[in-house]
Amino acid sequence: MITYICKRTVVSTKPAQAGKCNPLSVFDRLMEKNHIRIVYYFPSTRNGEPGVVTKKLRESLSHVLTCFPIVTGRLQKKDDGHWMIKCNDAGVRMVEARTQGSVEEWLKNVNRDKELMLVTWEDMFHKPYFWATFYVQLTEFEEGGLAIGFSCSHLLADPTSATMFVKAWADTTLAGTMLAPPFFHPLPPPRLGNKNPNHNPYTDLINHYKSTIDDRSPAFTNNITNYVTATLAFSGPMVQACMLDTSRPSPFEAMAGLLWVCVSKVKGMKQGLISMSICLDMRKQLGLDKGFFGNCLVYNKVHHAESLLDKSELSEAARAVGESVTKMNNERIMDLIEWLEHHDYEFPPLMNGHDLICANLEDLDPYATLFEEGFVPIRVSYYVEPVFGIGQILVLQSPPSEGPLSRMVMVTLPADELSKLCDDDLILRFNPTILMG
Amino acid sequence: MPQILPDFSNSVKLKYVKLGYQYLVNHILYLLLVPIMVAILIEVLRLGPYEILNLWKSLHFDLVQILCSSFLIIFIATVYFMSKPRHVYLVDYACYKPPVTCRVPFATFMEHSRLILKNNPKSVEFQMRILERSGLGEETCLPPAIHYIPPTPTMEAARGEAELVIFSAMDSLLQKTGLKPKDIDILIVNCSLFSPTPSLSAMLINQYKLRSNIKSFNLSGMGCSAGLISIDLARDLLQVHPNSNAVVVSTEIITPNYYQGNERAMLLPNCLFRMGGAAILLSNRRRNRSRAKYRLVHVVRTHKGADDKAYRCVFEEEDKEGKVGISLSKDLMAIAGEALKSNITTIGPLVLPASEQLLFLMTLIGRKIFNPKWKPYIPDFKQAFEHFCIHAGGRAVIDELQKNLQLSAEHVEASRMTLHRFGNTSSSSLWYEMSYIEEKGRMKKGDRVWQIAFGSGFKCNSAVWKCNKTIKTTTDNPWSDCIDRYPVHIPEIVKL
Repeated sequence: MITYICKRTVVSTKPAQAGKCNPLSVFDRLMEKNHIRIVYYFPSTRNGEPGVVTKKLRESLSHVLTCFPIVTGRLQKKDDGHWMIKCNDAGVRMVEARTQGSVEEWLKNVNRDKELMLVTWEDMFHKPYFWATFYVQLTEFEEGGLAIGFSCSHLLADPTSATMFVKAWADTTLAGTMLAPPFFHPLPPPRLGNKNPNHNPYTDLINHYKSTIDDRSPAFTNNITNYVTATLAFSGPMVQACMLDTSRPSPFEAMAGLLWVCVSKVKGMKQGLISMSICLDMRKQLGLDKGFFGNCLVYNKVHHAESLLDKSELSEAARAVGESVTKMNNERIMDLIEWLEHHDYEFPPLMNGHDLICANLEDLDPYATLFEEGFVPIRVSYYVEPVFGIGQILVLQSPPSEGPLSRMVMVTLPADELSKLCDDDLILRFNPTILMG
Repeated sequence: MPQILPDFSNSVKLKYVKLGYQYLVNHILYLLLVPIMVAILIEVLRLGPYEILNLWKSLHFDLVQILCSSFLIIFIATVYFMSKPRHVYLVDYACYKPPVTCRVPFATFMEHSRLILKNNPKSVEFQMRILERSGLGEETCLPPAIHYIPPTPTMEAARGEAELVIFSAMDSLLQKTGLKPKDIDILIVNCSLFSPTPSLSAMLINQYKLRSNIKSFNLSGMGCSAGLISIDLARDLLQVHPNSNAVVVSTEIITPNYYQGNERAMLLPNCLFRMGGAAILLSNRRRNRSRAKYRLVHVVRTHKGADDKAYRCVFEEEDKEGKVGISLSKDLMAIAGEALKSNITTIGPLVLPASEQLLFLMTLIGRKIFNPKWKPYIPDFKQAFEHFCIHAGGRAVIDELQKNLQLSAEHVEASRMTLHRFGNTSSSSLWYEMSYIEEKGRMKKGDRVWQIAFGSGFKCNSAVWKCNKTIKTTTDNPWSDCIDRYPVHIPEIVKL
């Protein structure tokens, strides 16, 4: 299967400024228990020699790391007990591997376990100061193709930042410069002065976070459920049809509604829908640059009206999602940030541990990551681990050849439920191609 | 305030007295010659031209006498010129600059140490303390094989490192000097710890297609001072072979010698030794005289191996688990001091000006005859040399020599900065230091440079070079991208 060649540490080309420390924001600290894994599949390049591409990528990784001192730093606790990154130049871990066959063959019979073998990851050490937070694995396919596995702790980056880092790496390999330099800044500070004394903080969002933080239920200490991931590709016209059916203007809301209804059915809910939270990127709402490096994902519970006729359940679900999305605006997020600043918790929560999580990762643009001119990734898969609770749905962009409206949905559920989902009538109405699972 | 002034004026007076004394003794011959010449001139003027002519006529020279004396003069002149040792010129040298991707910051080194020695936290702590006080910077480089977790020091990787370092240095040297590989008559390679078959010199001959009648030598096992031993060998060979070019390659291959055990005395080299190499072109051809950078004046070699403690102070052996490493004994500094004293005793009379030698002699006689309690006079070597290149063996070595020779911070700057930027690159560190001095624009025509190297055995070798022409700064040297950042202040302890 996969032969591991070596493991080493890649450091930046210029030494980091000594003694620099970056504190983590409130959103960062919530994500301590999670990590992200991304796999990029690239078609065969002209360079047939094994190891040549790996060497080139390793060198360009060194160059790009010079601009990301946070990525090469290490976690340390500040005096107040909160995490910070000490920019000590320790580097990222890189694993080089080789496997037989070609990329195309691999993609035909890949599943979750196999795909996760393409990404190396190590859980936090007892002494986090010596634990690398970013890992890269380069797997060369003997008959052509390359898989780049990228993983990182969710404490430092969300999927948007991770994708941005890999894009910066690709830009550096291709042209020697980054097109979108990173932006390392804290979250916007709470508004001072001119605060309406009668202003009521948006309690719903805060309550959702409060209940998640206080939730110490055994659901996430007990992990014997066997989760499986399926990748469903919905073509452009199908997504459009779904949008028309639900009369929602946004593909995410339509897809989220659809998946919500179907997952509720396979979970055995005769009436109503299971509890679901959506997870959205709030960079635009907070007025942050797209290159903001760090966590900016906010979770919000979706509230829906109970007991409806089966036919319009889909529209109601999508409508509820849409309402939740609209409710996440600047003011409410700022209130949440302020609440989080003043509320310390002893144990970090598992943000994706209870409800069904539906994350909107449509705008990440991973297919613009080109390491070599003209070689667009065949596929990009995302995982937010570990998955506990009901399950996880990630709504992603499809390769550009499929059209702008097409979507790829990665659904992670217990094995038996997932197979039922793929046979569900409502899902099959939109004719998805099952790429994996 | 009044108390300070008299001291100040005293020290100023002392300084002038000292200067006056030095000038007097160093130029004593000229000072004696001038009155004699004046006396002769006065005598000649007094005698008048007519008298001188009479004097000349009274000397009866017949043909035989004139012929014999002129033959004698010619014979003596020929013998003198033939037996004069040939001048050996250093045309140019090139130092290897490791790729930036081989950089090893402190944090990475410590993490790897932890991962590899996970059962020995005490050894890891020890390495951390050494690294904090080592005087190394964050830009030193280790070869690729050592970056792996765990390191893979195979023979193939060692050969790979040797090829990378030696060929890069050679290519750089050939380009700088315009030398053609076919013109190399003598080739000497020194690498202490890696000695494959065929030798590294054979590897060079194969790569560059050197002549079949080349005189090649491969010195191994001779430690960090092997660079100067190679220079000495090259010099001796150039005395025997006229009109020749000699290339000396000094390097140390780190890959096979990364100690993987946990004996503390053997972990020290892991922390200090780094990748590096240098290639030097020496020549005794007349046409290189004008373009050569330096002329070799003296090489002095001192070997303290007869003493058991000195012999065992840097010893390669197996530890309790059978892992091979180089063990450094605790009295390394003391032995180094002794070896240095020996070396100075030999080199002193060759290089010191007459004033210093006289003072030393007087103090010696005084101590022996009058009062043994007199402080021994340490000759002031700053008067004999403008620049010092002390082997960057470690911070302690440089500190010790600075103290013993009473050198200022600027004199040892080249050594300290080389240790900071490149680490201990063993025999090639002297050349990185020379390069530093040149790139700072401090090397002027007529400047004398003293290179001191220590090595296992225990050896202390010195070389004295005289600068042949003022050296302009260039861009094709290992310091080119960072010279503006130096000198840096190196703290006593770097907090990791």
